[in-house]
Amino acid sequence: MENIGTEILHYYDHFVVPFTVGVIVLFTVVIYKYVRWFVKLPGADKHLVRKGLFTRSTLGACVEVVSESLLHRKIFKVNPKLGYMHMSLAFGWFLLIAVGWVEASMHLTGIVPLHAHVFYKFFADPNADYGVSGQVLANVMDLLLLFVLSGVSLAWFKRMRSRAMGMKRATKHTAGDRIALFALWFIFPVRLLAESATSGLKGMESFLTGNIGHWMVSVFGVYNIEQFSGVMWWTYSVLLAVFFVSMPFSRYMHIFTEIPLIFLRRYRLRSTERHKTYDHFQIEACSRCGICIDPCQLQADAGITNVQSVYFLRDRRYHKLSGAVAENCFMCGRCETKCPVGIELNTLRLNSRTKMFDVPADGRYAYVRGMDTSKGEGKVGFFAGCMTLLNPKTLRAMEAIFKAAGEDVWWADKDGGVCCGRPLKLAGEVSAAAKMMEFNKSLFEKHNITTLVTSCPICLRVFREEYDLKGIEILHHSQYILRLMEQGRLSMEESDGRLFTYHDPCELGRGSGIYDEPRAVINAVGRLAEVSQNREEAFCCGSGLANISIDDRGQNKISAALADRFAETGAEEVVTACPLCKKAIARNTPLPVADIAEIVSARLGGRQQA
Amino acid sequence: MTKKVIIIGGGPAGMQTAASLLDLGIKPVIIEKSDRIGGKLNDWHQLFPTFTPAHEVLAKLKGSMKDARVITGTAVESIGKDGVSLSDGSTMEADAVVVASGFNLFRAELKEELGYTIYDNVYTTVDIEHMLNDGKVAMKDGRTPQRIAFLHCVGSRDEKVNQRHCSKVCCVTGVKQAMELKAMFPQSEVYNFYMDIRMFGPGYEEMYRRAQEEFNIHFVRGRISEASETIDRRVQIKAEDTLIGRPLKMTVDMLILIVGMTAGESNRRFAETKGVELQPSGFVAPADSFTLNTCSGVPNIFYAGTVTAPKNLGESINEGVAAAQQVARYLNRR
Repeated sequence: MENIGTEILHYYDHFVVPFTVGVIVLFTVVIYKYVRWFVKLPGADKHLVRKGLFTRSTLGACVEVVSESLLHRKIFKVNPKLGYMHMSLAFGWFLLIAVGWVEASMHLTGIVPLHAHVFYKFFADPNADYGVSGQVLANVMDLLLLFVLSGVSLAWFKRMRSRAMGMKRATKHTAGDRIALFALWFIFPVRLLAESATSGLKGMESFLTGNIGHWMVSVFGVYNIEQFSGVMWWTYSVLLAVFFVSMPFSRYMHIFTEIPLIFLRRYRLRSTERHKTYDHFQIEACSRCGICIDPCQLQADAGITNVQSVYFLRDRRYHKLSGAVAENCFMCGRCETKCPVGIELNTLRLNSRTKMFDVPADGRYAYVRGMDTSKGEGKVGFFAGCMTLLNPKTLRAMEAIFKAAGEDVWWADKDGGVCCGRPLKLAGEVSAAAKMMEFNKSLFEKHNITTLVTSCPICLRVFREEYDLKGIEILHHSQYILRLMEQGRLSMEESDGRLFTYHDPCELGRGSGIYDEPRAVINAVGRLAEVSQNREEAFCCGSGLANISIDDRGQNKISAALADRFAETGAEEVVTACPLCKKAIARNTPLPVADIAEIVSARLGGRQQA
Repeated sequence: MTKKVIIIGGGPAGMQTAASLLDLGIKPVIIEKSDRIGGKLNDWHQLFPTFTPAHEVLAKLKGSMKDARVITGTAVESIGKDGVSLSDGSTMEADAVVVASGFNLFRAELKEELGYTIYDNVYTTVDIEHMLNDGKVAMKDGRTPQRIAFLHCVGSRDEKVNQRHCSKVCCVTGVKQAMELKAMFPQSEVYNFYMDIRMFGPGYEEMYRRAQEEFNIHFVRGRISEASETIDRRVQIKAEDTLIGRPLKMTVDMLILIVGMTAGESNRRFAETKGVELQPSGFVAPADSFTLNTCSGVPNIFYAGTVTAPKNLGESINEGVAAAQQVARYLNRR
């Protein structure tokens, strides 16, 4: 025992105490959090984990951890400079720890405590000769330190000039984040000074710390550098402690949390419209990098700067989420496609709303029971939705198209019907939405349709994702029209070469992955000139239903910003495939705006036209 | 030395500005983008609240400004400090410019849910003025309407189409036309759907009372949310009677949309000149809305009529007088 005691004391100095305390606090808190979240997961989620554990998912997760948590491949893709910064910090630090471990294990004798690995230079024996491998390792460690320092200097630079790093806006941080950030900024410069001073005093050779150390000793003298090195090792240890203790309570929690998140996601866990503890893994995996800020049109066009996903997640994490922040979002998904961590930003916002705004709906909407205003007979059903009913040109165009194709149609709601439920769902009122969904579902089943066509992407999504309509194919009208064209069921006039531009509706594009069908339809009746940012990068029209707090002025700022983008294409007409987008664009664009069905019905062969 | 004054727009405000400048011994030039002067007054049938034929007022205005030079078929592209540049590419120098370019009518097609240009029997108040001028008001297929609905505030006080302002004169226009149609078709039922009725001018409120008491026109407080077409090409409307708190559906032979006034399309162009500022509504902002209603932020640019806000005809004409005074004062001081 005595022997072990002296061996440990051999690698002991008072300055290691803050570091050791920091590490203990860090791992206690992190493990406590993870265990609690995991234990409280719903049984179904735990089952998914058990099912996936010994499959290729685990292997895939391991690969993803390396490529994302260490190398930050996705950030690289969005922004190479930012990617390098994250990679040099994460991967560089990881290698410093790993190689440092090897170095200490090879060179230190006896029982080597954790801190002796971390503060290896301090505890290294200056008189021992470790040969070539020792020299190589010392220089590799210097190189790695330099690598990390390059990332740190970029981080400094980013704080001062975020634009230079390719970000128009950087995140505004909390006090805890600032403390951790401050510690992080200084950890590696101080380590450089501490290691250099010690190298100089002990006469250890290496290209960075060795040379700086010799220079320091020669300029300031042994006595001064001895004093200085003591202060630096203490500072280094204290900075590490500050960083470790603040880590689980700050954005730096993401460093660890992304790892379990990657595994759980590979096991197919997903957030839902109701909160569960899996959400914590997503929320705390947010590094607050702020990549979600620039794509947000609320920020860019309407000057609303406190609601972006990074702030939403921050507020939610610290239990400070206000209804105003949760509500002020179109859920257009532009930020979600850019999030390097792949957090389900829309779903998390949705379940925050559910938590805040859902109320029991037992007594509501009793009047819809037994209502059936549908018309016609046919295996193909058409659901216009509330918004298409406010766009009668679209409805007329669909009538003409169905007639031209000789299709018998069951019109679900031409004379008014019940809402699809998604608007209420987006407002968090899932119980009320369920009533409408139940109603429509039984209506569809009652009329025995096999295909359900809708001209509203909002309805489309809820039909596909939540209605569970067995045996009914659900199509957006752009898909249906294209199918009719391909089957030769629409006799069309020759393309007149009219130049159109197309606006991707959020719910249709990013929401449902339908990009090609509307374009194919447009190309069949005219020519298409694309706007500069389209498909996954398309802009929101500013009238997205999910934003229940923005006022009309804000909406207009966003849709007005689109007008120039359409004009730039030189198109004669704007085409879209969503009744809400159509109205939003029409009120701010001088060009004519049409639904995709209108441009088709206008070119139906003469005899068949309605 | 003769001073040169350009008046942009040959509507009532511009015509009156010209007439008043002539009275003050200044010879103005009117630049009118259409091929005739008179502006929208050419389209109107009778004027509220007196039912005076519009052509009578037009003739008076024309008579008082007949010595002014008029260039028609030419639009002003931009206003500078020393004059204007024109659509034919030329420029014209001036010591002062009076902007009397007026307003645009709201494009009712933007309220697609009301079916204008989609359904046969949805009209605007402008269409009705044209029909009244032509002497025949009828449904598209020539039938006599039995039930007519007017909808107030189409393109006014409506955030959904970017028109937050009140167009002021449409309420009384709707009442006037309701009375004209009721007089033409005494057997018909005429309904006016409104959110509130703003009878701001002399004689307007009295006219509104007559419409109810003598003409038996029904006023329903509630807006029409959407319209659809029936098989026999009539128009089915959905509305809410907010006084009894119930939704209603009604089928009418004609739905007439009382369209509002939107900012003139040239305002945005003119506002590229420093000192010509736009209000959020898109109308240009006078230098001061109490004492300098006809002045801009530029000493030699003046405003008259509906370029600054919706106004009735009398107000527009008065602004012509006021603008001419301001122009004369400016020219004399120089």
